[in-house]
Amino acid sequence: MIAAPDRLAAGVLTINLDRDGRLLFADPQLAALNVRAGGAIGQPLAVPALAMIARLAVRLGIVVSRAVTVADDAADIEMWVRAQPETDGLRMAVSGWREIATWRPDGLRDPALGLAPWPGNWRWETDAGLRLTLISPAAGARHGFDAFALLGKPVTTLFAFDEDGDGLLPILSALAGRTRLEDQPARLRGTGVPLLLSAAVRSDGRGAFAGLIGTARSVADDRLEEDEPLPLRFTEELDRALRTPLARIVANADSIHAAAEGPIGSDYAGYAADIAGAGRHLLALVDDLVDLDAIERPGFVVEADTIDLADVARRAAGLLAVRASHARVAIVRPDADASLLASGDFRRTLQILVNLIGNALRYTPPGGQVMVEIVDGNLAGVCVSDHGKGIAAADQARIFDKFERLDPTEAGGNGLGLYIARRLARAMGGDLTVESAPGRGARFTLALPAG
Amino acid sequence: MAIDPQDSPETVAARAGAQALRRSASVVADFFVAEGDRLDERTRLLLVQSLSRVVGVLDRAIRRDAARRLAQLGNHAAAERLLGIRDDVARWLSRPDALPDELVEELIVRVRHDQLAEALPIELGEADVPSLLVRLAGVPDSVVAAAAAALLAAESRRRDLADGDTGLTAELHHRLAWRVAAALRTLAGGGVAVDRALVEAARRSIAAHDEGEQVEAVAMRLALAIDARPAERGPLLIEALGDRRLALFIAVLAHALEIEYAEVRALVVNPTDERLWLCLRAAALDRTTVARIALALAEADPRRDIEVFADRLDTIAGIDPAAAGVALAPLALPGDYRAAIRRVMP
Repeated sequence: MIAAPDRLAAGVLTINLDRDGRLLFADPQLAALNVRAGGAIGQPLAVPALAMIARLAVRLGIVVSRAVTVADDAADIEMWVRAQPETDGLRMAVSGWREIATWRPDGLRDPALGLAPWPGNWRWETDAGLRLTLISPAAGARHGFDAFALLGKPVTTLFAFDEDGDGLLPILSALAGRTRLEDQPARLRGTGVPLLLSAAVRSDGRGAFAGLIGTARSVADDRLEEDEPLPLRFTEELDRALRTPLARIVANADSIHAAAEGPIGSDYAGYAADIAGAGRHLLALVDDLVDLDAIERPGFVVEADTIDLADVARRAAGLLAVRASHARVAIVRPDADASLLASGDFRRTLQILVNLIGNALRYTPPGGQVMVEIVDGNLAGVCVSDHGKGIAAADQARIFDKFERLDPTEAGGNGLGLYIARRLARAMGGDLTVESAPGRGARFTLALPAG
Repeated sequence: MAIDPQDSPETVAARAGAQALRRSASVVADFFVAEGDRLDERTRLLLVQSLSRVVGVLDRAIRRDAARRLAQLGNHAAAERLLGIRDDVARWLSRPDALPDELVEELIVRVRHDQLAEALPIELGEADVPSLLVRLAGVPDSVVAAAAAALLAAESRRRDLADGDTGLTAELHHRLAWRVAAALRTLAGGGVAVDRALVEAARRSIAAHDEGEQVEAVAMRLALAIDARPAERGPLLIEALGDRRLALFIAVLAHALEIEYAEVRALVVNPTDERLWLCLRAAALDRTTVARIALALAEADPRRDIEVFADRLDTIAGIDPAAAGVALAPLALPGDYRAAIRRVMP
């Protein structure tokens, strides 16, 4: 996944309150937030999370620093707040202003997420000066070095960092952008054992860099993992073990959200909606992983029947009609009497078209339309076009890669859909292609052998 | 419950009846536990993991050693029997009275300590200054430097339990080693040779255990080596919390008040124990320092109500340090003496 930073407001914003907690001054961005929450200059702060910190700092008589999430009209805003009591009132400094979607599939909110223990992985941690503060003793025993002797030493006395395949040092961009470190190639000093390092960044109360929480794994272990395909049973188990409980979680969260069993606080209804949304995302991911496993298995074949592409296109559009009307987007589908015979698997073709139309809906602004047309030529084809923001030429090949998303901050999608769709199209003897230009929308064409 | 084909219907009925009674008694007892006294799910889970970790360490060490001794004596059948035990010894010991209460209490406090330490908000010092323990490990005073380096190592070891190291006090390691040996004896079917091998193996584990290298002992050593003057205590305590070195925070306070480490730790991890504020005042910490400590602890533990604390801050700050010291005097008595007083009280 591409680790693009969210929209970050530059610099530090200020709020000044008088001795009685009334707002004297706020930078425009904060003033606007306060007005939207119902406040004004000369009145107490109206944003509850900020008002609470201000009050606490005054009562305790000390600096209070906290990360808070403030609900604003369209999105939530995360920010670091530092409230400093002064003789004539209170000064608040707000930094790291970051708009976030209500729920995102990445783990940015939890720095330690994704560093689950994996056999052969070991832990290391540093302070803000990148000096080692923790090393798993087991690592020393395994690779033959004295883990304890390295505690307190710079991280570079343990690891020698290497460039990755693109000639870059991932640790530099991780430190500069405060993003997760993924797959930094490195060698253990002294023994030269090749490793891949991952790390989450931790922050202090003001949002400043406070060190890394990392794991290291031997490259040898990694190769072993890649060489062995998952046993078929594993995928089946995964499917069975995840789908049922997830479906139950989604159903229960939906009924909590709908207050089906009696009234509940609106906060909780909102949390339940988040849980259901996250659950649905995971269910879709399970589906995709099962597909991915199937299409990457040697000897994967797709049934070749004679199908009516126009009919499949109409059905796919029909399946998304409700979502389209919610998004206030019209889907223009092939005429009811149109027909185009092709050779392929009905269910897989439907799956590809649902994916393409679903993507088009996501990128089409309200009031727009998504065109689904059949194209007769050497091959039988269906085109799905939108009037969204389009895709730059450089990105057009990348969107068909595994786990690629152009904008990872956007809700929905896991970067597998187009990869799977193209693999399926090719397995049926056809192809999936895209034409697009930034600002001009995108046009995806599914071509299958004529039936 | 499995019905053994050899059991008579009477035996089956009697066993099931006893089990139902026991279960019903537990449910009733659970009903009367006050909400605030009940372990939350997360703590309970961490406790189960922690228990299974320390028992696992002893189980592996004692079992392997005993089996090796049996094999050396040519008693391969008994060795195989020991190695072949499939039961989870930790679960087998997780019954009322099978484990010393003191061990479970210690593990609960430790789990709470670790949860609290992990959640403390990090406070950075000045730019380019190493974090507290790293800096102390590099000071010219070799006693302080060695103790700080030992604490860094002990905390690394605690979070990644090395084989054979339970991280317990000598007393608890000793008691648990015998319980584990007894469990293995029962599960392996006993016998003179097995008993002898298990006794030797347990004794070896007890002899090899060094409580002086545990986090608690090392933290106290460091606090003693630093021997902070009253004016230095506040900044040191604040910095220890900001570096998530809760063990050092506890040790510095314990050293200043001449109270045992375990006593101070119990106050720090308990969100409702007001004696912590008395400790901070007895250590002559000013209003600002007390407020900063309370804020850091409240940020780390949602059960602490900072608003209620803020209401009481002026009162707390007004407590005379000497009076606070007098109020805490019972805590400064040796733990064994206080436990004995409790026992002999009519």
